[in-house]
Amino acid sequence: MHQTRPAKITSPIFSLKDGYVRTIPLALIVGAAGVGASLFFSLTDLRRFYYIYLVNFCFLLSIVVGCLFFVTIAHLTRAGWSVTVRRIAEFYAACITPLFILFLPILIPVLMNSDVVYPWVHGGWSQHDKTEAAAIAGLPLAERPPIEVMKAAYLNPYFFGIRIVAYFLIWSAMAWFYLKTSLKQDVTGDKKLTLRMHAFSAPGMILFAAVLVFSSFDIEMTLSPLWFSTMFPVYFFAGAALSAWCTITLTASWLQQTGRVTDEITTNHYHDLGKMMFGYGIFWGYIAFSQFLLIWYANIPEETFWYNQRINQDGWRGFSILLVAGHLFIPFFAIMGRTARRNRKFLSAAAVFILCMHWVDHYWLIMPEYDSVKNTFTFNPLVDLPCTVGMIAVFIAFFCLVARDRPLVPLRDPRLGQSLNHVVH
Amino acid sequence: MSHNQNQTSKLVGLLAEFDDPDSLVQACDQARQYGYKVMDAYSPFPVHGIDPAIGIRRTKLPFIVLSVALCAVCLGLGMQWYTNKYDASPIFPGYAFKISGKPYFSLPANIPVTFEVIVLSSAFATFFGMWLLNQLPRLSNPLHRMERFKRATNDKFFLLIETGDAKFDRSRTASQLQQWGAVVVEECRQDLTDIKLPSWLKLGGVLLAVLLLLPPVMIYRAMGMTNRHPRLHFMPDMDWQHKFKAQRMSPAMAEGSYLFADLRSARAPVAGSVAWGHLDTDGEMYRGIKKDWKPKVTATANVGPSVSTSTSSQDAVAASQEPAEKVTPPPVVEEDLTKYVTEFPEGVEVNAELLARGQRRFEIYCSVCHGYAGNGDGLVNARAVALNATGQATWTTAKSLHDPIVKDAEKNPLGRIFETISLGRNTMGPYKDQIPVADRWAIVAYVKSLQETGIKPLMVVDPAATDAPAVDAAPGQTGD
Amino acid sequence: MATVNNYLDNTYDDPDHRAPLVLGGMTYTTVTETVVAPWETDKPPRVWYLLFATAVCLLMMLGACIMHLLLKGVGVWGNSNPTYWAFPIVNFVFWVGIGHAGTLISAILFLFRQNWRTSINRAAEAMTIFAVICAGMFPGIHIGRVWAFYWLFPVPTEHLAMWPNFRSPLLWDVFAVGTYATVSLLFWYMGMVPDIATFRDRSKTKTKKLIYGLLSLGWTGSARNWHRYEIAYTILAALATPLVLSVHTIVSFDFAVSQVPGWHTTIFPPYFVAGAIFSGFAMVVTLLVPARAIYGLQNLITLRHLENMNKIIMATGMMVGTAYGIEFFIAWYSGVPWEGFAFYNRAFGNYWWAYWIMVSCNVIIPQLFWFKWCRTTPWFMVIVCIFVNIGMWFERFVITVTSLCRDFLPSSWAYFYPTSIDIMMLVGSFGLFMTLFLLFCRFLPIIAMSEVKGVIPLEEH
Repeated sequence: MHQTRPAKITSPIFSLKDGYVRTIPLALIVGAAGVGASLFFSLTDLRRFYYIYLVNFCFLLSIVVGCLFFVTIAHLTRAGWSVTVRRIAEFYAACITPLFILFLPILIPVLMNSDVVYPWVHGGWSQHDKTEAAAIAGLPLAERPPIEVMKAAYLNPYFFGIRIVAYFLIWSAMAWFYLKTSLKQDVTGDKKLTLRMHAFSAPGMILFAAVLVFSSFDIEMTLSPLWFSTMFPVYFFAGAALSAWCTITLTASWLQQTGRVTDEITTNHYHDLGKMMFGYGIFWGYIAFSQFLLIWYANIPEETFWYNQRINQDGWRGFSILLVAGHLFIPFFAIMGRTARRNRKFLSAAAVFILCMHWVDHYWLIMPEYDSVKNTFTFNPLVDLPCTVGMIAVFIAFFCLVARDRPLVPLRDPRLGQSLNHVVH
Repeated sequence: MSHNQNQTSKLVGLLAEFDDPDSLVQACDQARQYGYKVMDAYSPFPVHGIDPAIGIRRTKLPFIVLSVALCAVCLGLGMQWYTNKYDASPIFPGYAFKISGKPYFSLPANIPVTFEVIVLSSAFATFFGMWLLNQLPRLSNPLHRMERFKRATNDKFFLLIETGDAKFDRSRTASQLQQWGAVVVEECRQDLTDIKLPSWLKLGGVLLAVLLLLPPVMIYRAMGMTNRHPRLHFMPDMDWQHKFKAQRMSPAMAEGSYLFADLRSARAPVAGSVAWGHLDTDGEMYRGIKKDWKPKVTATANVGPSVSTSTSSQDAVAASQEPAEKVTPPPVVEEDLTKYVTEFPEGVEVNAELLARGQRRFEIYCSVCHGYAGNGDGLVNARAVALNATGQATWTTAKSLHDPIVKDAEKNPLGRIFETISLGRNTMGPYKDQIPVADRWAIVAYVKSLQETGIKPLMVVDPAATDAPAVDAAPGQTGD
Repeated sequence: MATVNNYLDNTYDDPDHRAPLVLGGMTYTTVTETVVAPWETDKPPRVWYLLFATAVCLLMMLGACIMHLLLKGVGVWGNSNPTYWAFPIVNFVFWVGIGHAGTLISAILFLFRQNWRTSINRAAEAMTIFAVICAGMFPGIHIGRVWAFYWLFPVPTEHLAMWPNFRSPLLWDVFAVGTYATVSLLFWYMGMVPDIATFRDRSKTKTKKLIYGLLSLGWTGSARNWHRYEIAYTILAALATPLVLSVHTIVSFDFAVSQVPGWHTTIFPPYFVAGAIFSGFAMVVTLLVPARAIYGLQNLITLRHLENMNKIIMATGMMVGTAYGIEFFIAWYSGVPWEGFAFYNRAFGNYWWAYWIMVSCNVIIPQLFWFKWCRTTPWFMVIVCIFVNIGMWFERFVITVTSLCRDFLPSSWAYFYPTSIDIMMLVGSFGLFMTLFLLFCRFLPIIAMSEVKGVIPLEEH
């Protein structure tokens, strides 16, 4: 009844071939030009550059972390369908190591005791904060030290640096373990390697979750050191996983467009990737709404000021509405139907749109903190756009650097046959 | 269509039995390729690949559900908007009330219920839509009368080609089915004698439906009716709870035993207690009495009841400082006019703004009796005088504010006017609870300016010409 | 059809091919025979009678407690100032949580194409309905004037002009739990119709023929019907998935929208959902291990099914554990003294014992499932799962009581003591649950035959 395809790669081209040799220098030039232009336009206000740089870094980090999640969950659930797209995720996950270099421009000022990015580096932030809310939260009880003194045990440059290095070490170790083992299997075809990856995936998931929780706190939440939300890691995760599905879809589509792995990734895989984009889009909406509702409803000053700025300030209000519409509702209706999900081009367009919205999400998380000192809304496309284009170009260079001419699908995975014969009913 | 010789039953189609799903799918495929259209396959579980084999098009159910879901968005939000925000409807009005500082219609708080309404409606649409499209429930089906077919829900697979198909031919179709791998081919016949629902069942069903409607109708009717009998109390101790309420008699702790000897549920406040926010130490401002004025000792303790029935502690303080207000007409003989302030107290600045405010308040509260110009010719007064003339009411006419005595600054110092507004005088009622202190001073200022300018009445009301309905003039609303 | 496997142990992990989900070389016929057997027999096993008698006794005790409560008022409970919410809400959240596993198995695992769900989804869905009935009972009798329960719904009243307050999370609960109960019932019933049709076709007596005939709605198993049925099933699953999340999310809103320290924390929604799935799966395992032994369903509910459930228990247990950790970290990090106190008080305050029971049962004991022996030995996993359920009950107890008994006004601080009625009602609710579940085992198909038959030739996905 079922037509069975042999577990063999039939595409004529199944690696980047020479593509990466051409792409890397080009991407690096675009990247340098973009970041350089952004830096040039922000010479009078270097802080702006650092913030938009952090926005893009977080955007790229979330994609990479999401791909690492994809690989881990695929092994944890013994997934068969996703084998042919798993290698793309493995490549992206391995980009975590070069991504650490991109974090150095943020980390070095912190270690040099500059509060150009993270306001907690210097003291005094709990007093001069603009909102009454902050004042209440920072109000010491009789015997309590001021809040910033108390938090300094966690929020100090050296501990921060140690944590960041630890996060990237753990992520890199996980990502390269998967990639190396998977690549080794391409040669040997040993199914014990699959079992080894399965065995690692369960503790790996715990490690992943622990690092995700604290890294999201450290890198994004502490930009507003008074604010706190236990949901924040889940929010970061929802966006990360969603953007990973989109990036994998988009990459697969681009590879096929350029004549690579044409036979291995089928409409059925796009259908499932589309379902995942749909599902995680709703999950993001659920998490975002729950976090907002709880803070809005309880209306406690020490939490509300964060949303107050993002919703009641004219410019940021527009971004908030854009997020609700663009991050949740438009994709929801766009990829609800079966036909839409089975159309590669349409799904790729949707993936681009969602990725844009995911970028807006990080912009919305981070940039109001840049504005919080002056309590205004500023939009500076001359700084923001070149930096974004440049960093995405650098990221593409990273991908090519990792992928090189390595196979874009696991050649001898024991479940390759299942994936090739995967049919969505 | 091939009619059968037997009159009591008619041929529906030919039922072929198969042993496994694969041979069923193959048979369906061949049947469709041959050109059969009116056919259906039966299996104990959904067989994949059979839809294209017998040419089933994708159902429209998802679109039905989507449209219902979109309607449910409006339904959910509309319901919450109507019930919690819109209270202007004459029938089943909503009830707008503020709670936890949220707007009446506050979108974030309304999302959860809207979501649940969407899911519930969509689930109903899916469930009932599916049965409806499947034309189920169906009370009778000739297939169910076939012993062999009972295994369609167990372990056998069937294909039914119906007589309605253009290509159906009793013998050719049977041999084709055999050829396509059927284990057995059997006729499916419909019994014509008992395919109709018995009429007593229909009648009974209708009757039952009508009878079932009666209780809710009677309950609904009872909701809008008065009754001579007191309503039933299922849980009397919840309706009349055994609990202490402030300023009430205490319930008996045991037979004849009360919490306090005086049967109160709580102790009276200690003399001189003042409620939060009611200290009002500035006597000039709050009572219109001079700061340095001391009451004469002659004032008896058993003063007449204050016109105000308020039990606020403000009165408790005031009562010890103010002389008694006599309710009965014989005017107060020994009224100490020196106690009243003659200037506006500190904090009340007389300016155009205050006068404008005073005018508005005066026109709202005072003009109904005293008239817009203070001539004592307000509408209520005019009506009451008319009723007086026919003996239908007794009425002390409202005073003209231009009366020489009222106008006299000696006999009516500012503080006394303020006190009159606050506590009432003679048959005029107190306005302390309606008008805030600052507004009362604004009225005083406006009254003084009115008296100074001496405006003539703007309109003359002929009582005889008025055709207003009888006003039930409460004494509290009339002037002195 | 794939080769018939006769493995006794299908818990091995071989990436080359999927382990079979149905063992013992079962065919369509034997699947039907096996599932129908407990219903066709005139004599249920003695242990069924024993359990049923116990359950009915507990149910009667529950009934007596409810009558007592209605006549005397809610004062018969231990709820007091400041612990206004105590056993009733704890039991409510506990039972609602139990219910979540059923929908998870039938909807979420369905959407993720986890075919191993087919053997367990029916019983789990039934469990959902019964758990939701137990759950709904507690707020139902907590409203005081039970006879005015319809005030919870937007009923037009001509004279009162009175409506529910839609901005209150407690009303969201009414809608969420009501919708959940309704949709679960529709889902359960719809999934059962083909199997009820099997019962109908095998009925011998007139009564059975009539009852199962009416319930099966004239189902024939026609391909056209199956087509719409499957699409409808997918849509219902797609609706039930966000629904099941929303229900426990809204239950968590009851706590989290407030300003009570220890309650107001934004991670509550996903954390409650994870906890619900955790406890629900534990309950499914607790019920199915004895059921498969009593009815001889070892070839349908295989060790692999149980092992998979235990893995999910372990995973969700760790999610819950992570949430405990995040809460503590943020309580410190926020620098809000009240939050800090609330969490310190949880772990080391007057209810330290409840907190550490919760942590041991929910975080430490499930770690045993790292060992394959522990997660594939039926009697042992039941013990672990019972601990998990104890732990999850205590989780709700800890959240509710520790935060309330130390409220903002230290003068009102008090220790909460449950009354005997409280405890009898908790025990009695198990009687209600067990009675319904045992009746279900006796009169309805415990395993989704039509779905299992669909995966016989397939291997596990």
